[in-house]
Amino acid sequence: VTQANDLPEATSHRLEELEHGLFTSDLSVNEFLLVKHAGFHPVGFVMGSSIYHIGIQTRRWGKSQELTKLTEAMYNARELAMTRMEEEADELGADGVVGVRLDVNYYEWGRDAAEFIAMGTAVKAEDGTSYRNNLGKPFTSDLSGQDFWTLMQTGHRPQALVMGTCVFHIAHRGLAQTLGTVGQNVELPNFTQALYEARELAMTRMQDEANRLGATGIVGVRLEEKSHQWGSHTIEFLALGTGVTKGTGEPSLPVPTTIISLDH
Amino acid sequence: MALQGGSELPEAAGQRLGGGAWSSGLSVADFAACSSMGLRPVALVQGFCAMQWGWYTMRPGLGGGRWGGMGGPGPGAGGPGGVGGGGGPAPYAAAAGSRGYDESWPCPHGIASLEHQWGGNYEQAWVETAWAEGFGSAYRRMVEEAEQAGAHGIIDVVDDASYLAEQSVVEFHVTGTAVAVEDHEGDVPSLWSTYLAGQRLAKLFEAGLAPVSVAAGLASVVMWPNCQTEFLLGGGGGSMWVRSYEGEIVQATNAEMAARDLVRSAVSAQLGSDILHGARFSVSRRAVGGGGHVIECTLRGTRVRRFKDFDPLPPPTPTVRLS
Repeated sequence: VTQANDLPEATSHRLEELEHGLFTSDLSVNEFLLVKHAGFHPVGFVMGSSIYHIGIQTRRWGKSQELTKLTEAMYNARELAMTRMEEEADELGADGVVGVRLDVNYYEWGRDAAEFIAMGTAVKAEDGTSYRNNLGKPFTSDLSGQDFWTLMQTGHRPQALVMGTCVFHIAHRGLAQTLGTVGQNVELPNFTQALYEARELAMTRMQDEANRLGATGIVGVRLEEKSHQWGSHTIEFLALGTGVTKGTGEPSLPVPTTIISLDH
Repeated sequence: MALQGGSELPEAAGQRLGGGAWSSGLSVADFAACSSMGLRPVALVQGFCAMQWGWYTMRPGLGGGRWGGMGGPGPGAGGPGGVGGGGGPAPYAAAAGSRGYDESWPCPHGIASLEHQWGGNYEQAWVETAWAEGFGSAYRRMVEEAEQAGAHGIIDVVDDASYLAEQSVVEFHVTGTAVAVEDHEGDVPSLWSTYLAGQRLAKLFEAGLAPVSVAAGLASVVMWPNCQTEFLLGGGGGSMWVRSYEGEIVQATNAEMAARDLVRSAVSAQLGSDILHGARFSVSRRAVGGGGHVIECTLRGTRVRRFKDFDPLPPPTPTVRLS
């Protein structure tokens, strides 16, 4: 697998089997019911993977800075995994993929290498309407079946899972700085600024992706922070959410009813 | 901070809030509920503040040779996602005084010796002030982002605090989804904020209450047990007398009660004539050097104001959830 759109032979074989009516899915039963109720049928469990060697980038001990090479690596690896998953969905003729999960795994045998995996359930509209996104590709979304149903009822439709990432090195404090504030409860503006900026960059990139897709909004945004294997002062900030557009249909949410749950 | 036009926000924030697709941390269910209320998400907004927690020591004047160092306070006192307090390798005698609650616990036996030490409970005002400064700065920055985005309010506010790589540095995070009222014309008096979102916010409006702002506070009380309290808390070395003792450990009860009372008073002072809705206490406790215990209590809630009479809700429907 060297290109984003090169799928292994086993994949084609598995997808061919799925085209004969059998479907696989990681949806729960409730999710399955709601996806069906929204007018979609699961066509197959799809995934994409990329094992990526993450290079090194020198960082200055006392300087807060974005590590652009690492940012690019983390971004590209996820894009490759996502693109392969979309490719699988495309092979199945799906309109989109729901419940997308993005994972990063490290293995003992691969120092500085990580496997990026994207997986979800490909779905297809039962009435034949195309729900592909503005780029003509299957939509992707990390929404659960329940959330997907609710979103469709509001008159919106998903476009794509959008993300932005930023790997940032947070400067260490020098001896003078440390001694200058010892014993005091004070804000450390250099730390605040570095972390703030890193998160804003990740979110800006996520919004840029949404804008390029022509999405009007992003729902369910979450911001994840991980140091991976870089030590505590180097952090990846990853912003993720589902880009949505307003559809042509009117919202059809049922009138809320006050309920008393009989659950324990 | 890298100032942009007098603002405390980073430049990237200005660019992000400049336009294009809106972003929101709301779940789809909350998004749907807000849409049905006429609230339109404008942007996910956030504010941060990295604070150094200084070292501090016990109140001068207590006997018993208990000058052990105490760690910095546990951020958020076990609040959502909060972490425990950090220990300290060495004491540092900061010039700190106490205010408010201060209670001495003499040895009940009237003996002065290393075993019969006096104790005391007291409020650590400097911890409370530092927490308020960290939380307040982060909150202020979030509000500034929302104002820049042209929002009328912020919903689904989440605050958190966690230690950074350097153990004495705590970062406060406050995030939320800025919303605008659909078809609103004219000025909005001031930007409101709430921990609520979705159905819970809809029910609040239904009940005739409108959010004004989030309200939060932290109280920190340290308890240095006197000989009797220490003996009872430590199990009395397994003595039969202690094992058969049934009674309150009054000093510990007082310290716990004081922490709650203090934070309640602090938050009440923010409310004016409004009501605190959805108040949540969270308490963290930890041992510090020399036998002392620190009790930190946070109280969070949404300050609400009545804007219409309460309309009785429709009768509820019993349901059995199959999930």
